[in-house]
This record gives sequence, structure tokens and C-alpha cells, in this order.
Amino acid sequence: MEKFDVIVVGAGLAGLAAAYTLACEGLEVLVLERGDYAGAKNVTGGRLYVNPVREFFPDLWAKAPLERFIANEGFTMMAAERSLSINYYGNELADEPYQSYSVLRAKFDRWLAKQAQRKGAAVVTRSRVDDVIMEAGQVKGVWAAGEELRSDVVIACDGVLSLTAEKAGLRSPGIPENYAVGLKEVIELAPELIEARFGLEGNEGAAHMFMGEVTKGMFGGGFLYTNQASLSLGIVVSIKDMMENEASLGAPVLLDNFKQRPEIARLLKGGETVEYSAHVIPEGGYKALGKLYGDGILVAGDAAGLSMNIGVTVRGMEYALASGYYAARTVMQAKELGDFSVATLKHYELLLKDSFVLKDFASFKETPRVLDNPRFFTTYPEMLGDMMKDIYAVPGGAKNRLYPTIKKYMTLREMWQMAGDVRQVMKI
Amino acid sequence: MNIVVAMKQIPDLHQIRMRDRQPVLDDVPLTLGNIDKNALEAAVHLRDTHGGKVIALSAGSEELEDTIKEALAAGADEAFMILDDSLDNADSSVIAAVLAATIRKINDVDIILFGEGSGDNYSGQVGSRVAGILGLPQVGYASSMEVQGNSAIVTRSLEDGEEILEVELPVVIAVMADINEPRIPSVSQILKAGRKPQEVLELDDLAIEILEEPVVTESNLAPETPRKQVVVKSVDELIAVLRTEGVIGR
Amino acid sequence: MANGRGCQAGDEDMNEVMGLKAKLGLDVFKPDKEPHIMIKPGMEKDPRLKKAMLVCPAGLYSENEKGEVELTIDGCLECGTCRMVCGAEVLDWEYPSGGAGVQFRFG
Repeated sequence: MEKFDVIVVGAGLAGLAAAYTLACEGLEVLVLERGDYAGAKNVTGGRLYVNPVREFFPDLWAKAPLERFIANEGFTMMAAERSLSINYYGNELADEPYQSYSVLRAKFDRWLAKQAQRKGAAVVTRSRVDDVIMEAGQVKGVWAAGEELRSDVVIACDGVLSLTAEKAGLRSPGIPENYAVGLKEVIELAPELIEARFGLEGNEGAAHMFMGEVTKGMFGGGFLYTNQASLSLGIVVSIKDMMENEASLGAPVLLDNFKQRPEIARLLKGGETVEYSAHVIPEGGYKALGKLYGDGILVAGDAAGLSMNIGVTVRGMEYALASGYYAARTVMQAKELGDFSVATLKHYELLLKDSFVLKDFASFKETPRVLDNPRFFTTYPEMLGDMMKDIYAVPGGAKNRLYPTIKKYMTLREMWQMAGDVRQVMKI
Repeated sequence: MNIVVAMKQIPDLHQIRMRDRQPVLDDVPLTLGNIDKNALEAAVHLRDTHGGKVIALSAGSEELEDTIKEALAAGADEAFMILDDSLDNADSSVIAAVLAATIRKINDVDIILFGEGSGDNYSGQVGSRVAGILGLPQVGYASSMEVQGNSAIVTRSLEDGEEILEVELPVVIAVMADINEPRIPSVSQILKAGRKPQEVLELDDLAIEILEEPVVTESNLAPETPRKQVVVKSVDELIAVLRTEGVIGR
Repeated sequence: MANGRGCQAGDEDMNEVMGLKAKLGLDVFKPDKEPHIMIKPGMEKDPRLKKAMLVCPAGLYSENEKGEVELTIDGCLECGTCRMVCGAEVLDWEYPSGGAGVQFRFG
């Protein structure tokens, strides 16, 4: 029977970060991945922020297969028939080391798995973990295709549903309130066209978020990232809102409608969709985080609920990398002490609390509640759109003064409501 | 009894997509040919019955060092690899010369197994060519086989019948896909694969002269399917068109 | 598919809606021995399944004439949405076995 120091379930960013870190320290690590290769089951919207995790893996970034560094940030409020966009360029975005990159996971994760293997980790693909081995309340390994595989610690990095953490009794199945679903198309487009359409040069890339009509008032939005020779275009919608939406709009229809918006369609013209993917995303924030550790087990990445939507940015991958790294650090300490019980493994949560990971979650703990407000997704985008229409319109007759033009869109009551919403937004 | 199984490294066919009628091979994972895996499974059966060793043999690009682990996990005891980037797309005659020269370096080979055709080009030539170079008897289309004493009893599956042959060892046999169901290796078998002996050779290690390839591939395109561009307005009209085009009612 | 004409490479008009089946056809799927998600017997009319029809990104849930919801597993993106929506009372939900199911080329 094979016995390892650590078994990592899932070759995503959390799992591979943990395996890489552990292997560098000479621990015997086995990563089990159910896909044909690392990344085969992994989906992202598309952007990785490197700054928070750069120093954890100093040797990795120079050769990482990242797509484009993000030099242009865009945000669009979409009304039914018009939209208002903000484009942000800043010198700091174009300065090395770059803050963030667009990324395609099948490529990136395969590469990262190779790096972990080079350091001595065993990565076995096409292998699904079916259960955990529990002895006297402590996790002692896993079952995979009828085979017993033992280890001192299991790190569950098996994604947002984490059946491993569930089977170890650390969490119950997720509820719709705490999750969104993302749908995405990868659309191949010649690099020259990408650069011309988004005003980019060389390896610069653009990231663009969309709010409003995209999700028909439901919590969520659209995203567009430029890759080297393709676009990642998609939407993210609250599962609960979609279950309750009166228009009974299915998820695939929302994506198609988004694609057909004239603002979007012109960006995609001549492109060819080459992949369609979807995945559940944790969005419950701090209060929805799962239990991070148990006897003989740690949970990292999406499996622990470590992903966050604060409207202008959606982040998950750097939390996955960081939590995988801290899980590895915790295991190394446990190995030194020869104790893999909760008494030692609880240190993992302290490490995360001391790091940007849980600090961010604490800072933004009000965000899901604040953003769960349909006015952000219907009323305000429409109002802004109407104002812009009147500001830019030159009618046949005399043009009205600007202030009354704008003011007519808001009653006193609406202004009060807006002020209230603004106060809420200030909590973000 | 020593059994050599010749296996070809090919792109995972599921993963190939087409662009302008050409396969897109960037980042496509590599694997071993499907029928080659049947040949390996057959070899493992023979070894388990008669003892001996199963040796996986393959020629291809550097990535083969990873790909060959599939064979070692699925039951091969050791591997011989000839690594050279030119070998992934080499002509059957070149591959046959390379494999035959390598087999000469392996002691006491009793059976050399091939899949009936490779997973990508399916030219089905290398087995016969190797038999030719080594001066060995060759049997193709094998749907079952067993070893009795110093000979192999091989059933050949033919279009409208079966042929049973007895052939003296050593012999080259090419198997069909229906000979068996290849096993899916367990995690521990996959882990052990990395620790099995692997012999890596380069072209220079083989005393062979590689001639200019006698067959040149001029074009390799997906079939073009022109659209008829017929617009119909009713089901009746559709049926009529299909009938005229000879699609139905023949 | 709109206009009965495929949305193909270099198609000038991306406005043309590409059918869901065609989109799923772009992905790599490897066969599994048995379906990894099954509607539990007797639960076919559960209202949660109607929600799954709406939410499933691959459109794999549909209703038959008897008002029962059916699931076609081919094309499953393994996103997990139906597990959130329906829960374990309604669905037997597992991931496909190792090496089976969708294999993203880009992700």
C-alpha cells in the first residue's frame, strides 16, 4: 500500500500551490486529479492578480504561460438600449512587475502541475477520489477507484463543491444563496484584431466588467478578458436570483443576449467560438466560508469558499494559490511536531487570518449584502443611460439646460433611496 | 518469454480540433495509440500465463519519456525508447528501421506485438516492415492468441471467417482492437510506473542509415463537405429534395 | 440554429445565435460507463427540477409530456449548478469517473 506525507485532492491552483510548496521542502506529495490533465476540469473568468502571491513562488512567474498583462480596465453600466463605459489606463498598470494577467486554466494548470512534478510531487491524473478514509474521527487518506491511499494529511482542493470536505464532515452541500454560476465562451480572434479593437499594443491586455441589463436585474454581471489570441467572454449570475426570476430566463439565453449586444458583437466580429464552459462560483463571502480544517484534513481554494465578488473585481485564483501555500506551511509545521490533529492544523486558519486572504474577506464582508440590491442592476444603469442620452442629444428644437434634464429622472424619494444605496456602497 | 510491444506516441485524437481543414495540434496532450494498448494488454496476458517480461518499445519526441509511463502503468515491465523530435512524424520505413535495430539490442525476444494500425495515420505498415527487416514470420489481424511450447497459435479475424495459424517463435503479430479490453491502471500502478527500468536510445546509438523518406505526404486535409445551399419552405418540399438528391427513398 | 446555417469559422455575423448543442459540440467529452448524475426515482416532478431546467448552462434538463423532468447527461459541463439547486434529495450527484466527462482545452 502506498503511504504519503500528504495527499492533495484536485490539481487546481490551490492543490498545485500546496503540492509545489510541499515538494520543494522534500515532503512526499500525491496529487489526485480526475481530469485527463491538470486544468481539464478547471474554469476561470480569466484574470489572475499576481501581486499578492508573487513572493510565495518567486521562481515561477518568469516562465508562467500567462496570456496578456492587463493594461486597460473597463467598466460598463448597461441599460436596455444604451450603455455608459469607463475605461481606465494608468502608468502603473503598464509597469513591471505587472499587477494582473488574463489566463487560460487548461494551459496554466498543466504547466503548474509540471513544475510541481519537477520538484518531486507525484501528480496522477484520470483519478477520482471517491471517499476519505476516516479512523477515530481523523482523516487518514482517500479511496480512489477502489484503492486505499494513505497519508498523514489530506488537503481538499477539489473545487467549489468539495465533495471531499463534505465526506470528511467539514461542510454540508452548498445552498443557492451563496453561489453564482459563470458561463463562458472562449472566442478565437487574431491578435492584431484584439489589439486594434481594444487599443492595445504588444502583450497588453484588457479586462472589462459589465453590470445591468446583462443579468436582467439579477445579481451578477458580464466579463470580457483579452487572451493572447482569443477573448474570454461570459456572465456570472446568482443562482438564487435565477431560480426566482419572473421572466424565467435561462442562463444560456442571458449569455446569448449579452453576446448580441451591439457594443459586444462588434468586438467579437470575425471571431470563432472554440469552447463553452460553465462553473459554480462561491460568492457568499465571509459568512459562507466553510470549515477550513479538521483532524488530518485542510481545505483550500474554492473548496473552502475562498472567492469574492466585489462588483468591479471578481477574485478567486490568488486566494486559491495563497491558501494552498499556507496549507502546505501548516502541514510542514505539523510534520515537525508529528501531530496532524486539529490542535496543530488549526494554525492554518491563523495563517490565513494574518494574510491578505482572510483580511480581504473580513474587509469586504458586507459586500454580498450591499450588492444584493436589484437597483444596481436595473434602476441605476437605466437612469445613467437616460441621462447620457439627454446630455448628448441635440433635438430639432431648443436644447434644455443640463441640470433640469438630469434632475427629471429622479424624484425626491428616489434621490433619498440613492443616497441610502451610496451609504451602503461606502461600506465596501 | 520476452514480449516486445511496439507502441506509437500520438496526439489525443479527442482533443484535436480543425482550423481551415487542418488539425490544430498546439497543446494537445500526447498518448499511446489505442490499438497499441490492446497489444500491450495481450502481452501482459501472455506474460501472466507464461512468465517472462513485457517490454514497451517506442520511437518519438522527447515527450515520450512521459507518455511511455502509460505503458509501464498498464503492465509493461520495462521500456525502450528512441528519442528524437524527427521521429514523431517519420515515415513507416524509418520507424521500422529504428524499431528493428532496437529490437536487435534486446535479448531473447520471442514475440513482437503491434497494433494493427496506429491511432493517427493507420497505415499498418510498421509491423510487416519490422518482420521483413528481422526476417521473422508475421501474422496480422490477430483476434486471439496463445503460446504452446515454441509456437504461437493465432486466430486471424477475416472479413467472412476466421483463420487459425500455428507459427514458430520468434514472430511478429499485429492485433486487432477487439482482442481484449485494455485495463485502466490504478493509482499505485501509475506511481510504480515511474520506477520501472527505462532505456533511452538516440538515433546515433543505432547502426542504421536513414534514407530519404520514399513517401512524401503532399497534403493531409479533412474532407471538404460542400453545402448544397438548398432552401426549403415545407416538409413536403424537404422530402422531395432529399429524394431527388438520393438521400432517401432509394 | 438560426437561418439553418451553421455559425462557422470566420463567419462574419457573430450576431447569429449559435445553438446550445452546437456550442457543446465544441467541447471535448470523454465517455463514462454510467451517468454521473441521476434523478432519484419518484422525484421526477419535484419543483426543484423545474428550476434546474432554467439554470443548467448546458440545457440538459427538460420536461416530457407527463410533466416529468428528464436529464440527458451528454454535454454536462460538471459545473455543479443543479446540485446547488436540487440538492441530494432530488439528485444522485457524483463527478464522472477519472478521465471521463468534459475536458476543457482552454478553461
